[in-house]
Amino acid sequence: MRKILLGTTAVVGAALLAPTMAAAQQAPTVRIGGFFRAYYGNTVQSGNSSIGQLQNTIGAGDPSAAAQSTAGLNTASNGNEFQRQSARLGHNDFSTDAEVHVFVNGKAANGLTYGAVVEINFNQGEGAVRDARRAVQPKTSAGIDEMYAFVAHPTLGQIRFGDEDGPMGGLMNSGFVTNFGTGGIYGDWESFAVRPNRTMTTPGGLGDNTKIIYLSPQFFGFDFGASWAFNEGDGEDTGCLNSFASVNCDRVYAVTNNQSFGRSHQLPGRINELQAMLRWRGNIAGVGISASVGTMQSGVIRSADPLTGAITKNLRSPQVYQAGLQATAYGFTVGGAYMWGNTSFFYIPTARGDRDMEQFFVGGSYTFGPISVGANGFWGHYGNTGAAPTRSQRRWGYGIGATYRLAPGMDLVAEYVRHEVKQPGNANIHGLVNYLGTDRMRTQVFLTGVRVAF
Amino acid sequence: MRPTFLAIGLMLPLLAACGGENTRMVTNDEYGDYRGSVPRQRPLGATGSGIVLFGVDKDREAREAAAIGGTGLGVNAYLWRATLDTLSFMPLASADPFGGTIITDWYSPPGTQGERFRAQAYVMGRQLRSDGIRVQIFRQTLENGQWVDSPISAATNSEMEDKVLARARELRSQSASR
Repeated sequence: MRKILLGTTAVVGAALLAPTMAAAQQAPTVRIGGFFRAYYGNTVQSGNSSIGQLQNTIGAGDPSAAAQSTAGLNTASNGNEFQRQSARLGHNDFSTDAEVHVFVNGKAANGLTYGAVVEINFNQGEGAVRDARRAVQPKTSAGIDEMYAFVAHPTLGQIRFGDEDGPMGGLMNSGFVTNFGTGGIYGDWESFAVRPNRTMTTPGGLGDNTKIIYLSPQFFGFDFGASWAFNEGDGEDTGCLNSFASVNCDRVYAVTNNQSFGRSHQLPGRINELQAMLRWRGNIAGVGISASVGTMQSGVIRSADPLTGAITKNLRSPQVYQAGLQATAYGFTVGGAYMWGNTSFFYIPTARGDRDMEQFFVGGSYTFGPISVGANGFWGHYGNTGAAPTRSQRRWGYGIGATYRLAPGMDLVAEYVRHEVKQPGNANIHGLVNYLGTDRMRTQVFLTGVRVAF
Repeated sequence: MRPTFLAIGLMLPLLAACGGENTRMVTNDEYGDYRGSVPRQRPLGATGSGIVLFGVDKDREAREAAAIGGTGLGVNAYLWRATLDTLSFMPLASADPFGGTIITDWYSPPGTQGERFRAQAYVMGRQLRSDGIRVQIFRQTLENGQWVDSPISAATNSEMEDKVLARARELRSQSASR
């Protein structure tokens, strides 16, 4: 009798669990997707001309020590003119880009869905050298943008492991309205603007360094995500350029001159990065609402004495917070987000005494039939990125754009963007000679073209 | 600070799992997508369409079945419906939606009383493919008061198949534009 009872209980238990377990197994499918786009762009920006600059002319030989000395004069008599050059840029250009994504999706008999995403992009070299392709990679060389595996359970949520944006770094943000043109101020105008006046502080700017991500199911309208990364490195291998511990290594946590290295876009700055985001989505009186709050908390690369190797901490551990809200009804979407923390622009770690970052974003769009129009913009102030605390930087920009959906997957876009960086009282903004005498930089880009998603 | 986040992070999945009927799985297309600093237009391949290189596209099959009314057929719904439409001018003798066979009764076209036709159609598989339909036409002629089998022209079967495929394509484009 007891056995029968136990057996019955087991069967009933199995039946209770069955609804989530009875999903049919599906063999993995491999899909291919991606996009191609081609734009015309008209660019007007500060720094369209440079005079007597040390040029990065790969193939022309390394600049001589004399030329690298800023005291060296740019005269035809001392030979420095071969490295120090002047240049002027026109306004018009075409720009193309594409990505190819591979999606693997499967479903196990127990209801788990699983798969992997590998995104191949073709923009690994920002600079181009037309006559030296045997020695350096072309602008369009292939690389990996994001690649990760995922396992998702209907009631327990999803885990992603790999190179992917974090919950606050792009996955679960609200308020960033970019569904028109190429994204307005956060769009593709960067493809036409010469650095440094183009770097924005967007959710995706946190980067897709290798991380492990948990994304919850939605319950009572809420879902949340959290991610962990050891450092800012991605892909395989150590990242080291030398056969000894050095600044480029993924695992580096202390380095000489971290005031500069630790705060470059290209070199690691954050370590032990934690992201968390809570999102609520629902419908109030016919208006779709999405609200998110989140944070990124990380450690920072430390200073190592060049001779003794002694380690000290001189930068602040980045702590950034974000809150955003957006509403959608009758084709209209409006939203805003506020971000604050102790980093500079682009989440660059700051020194003690630097001003904290504060940034506002607002945007709105309207979609009717195949047409979407919209505008968005941001303004904020940020700590300086120099070695010593100085005045803060102000950055602001706005974009106005439109999209016409010609056919499913094919869009015609047009957009105007203006972006400015200002550092009042600093007549040598960003430390570049060609900005000498000005405390602000401006960029205006008008672009139009076609984009195909497949 | 960080231990607090970790504690919350560990607690929330358990809470989410207890949501019962108010819990739903968040699909991959509900998350944002950035390419560096720029928000990325989501590729079609990420949202269940796109080009399938390997494997059976279950999503597409489900979409197509739903578009045509979710009939629970054993074979491709477009081909099945198109075959019925194409052969509807003949009297139906039997139709098996699970096996995918349609057999008509004998039919004499008006004005040609001396001959009659019969059709057998087989819908093969769940996929909308050009080789997914096979039609066989039988012809008999009246000779001395007896119906005797006679040959049909070689192209008749494939012409009927083409008509079925054209109708299937029409049905699919209609349902896709809904």
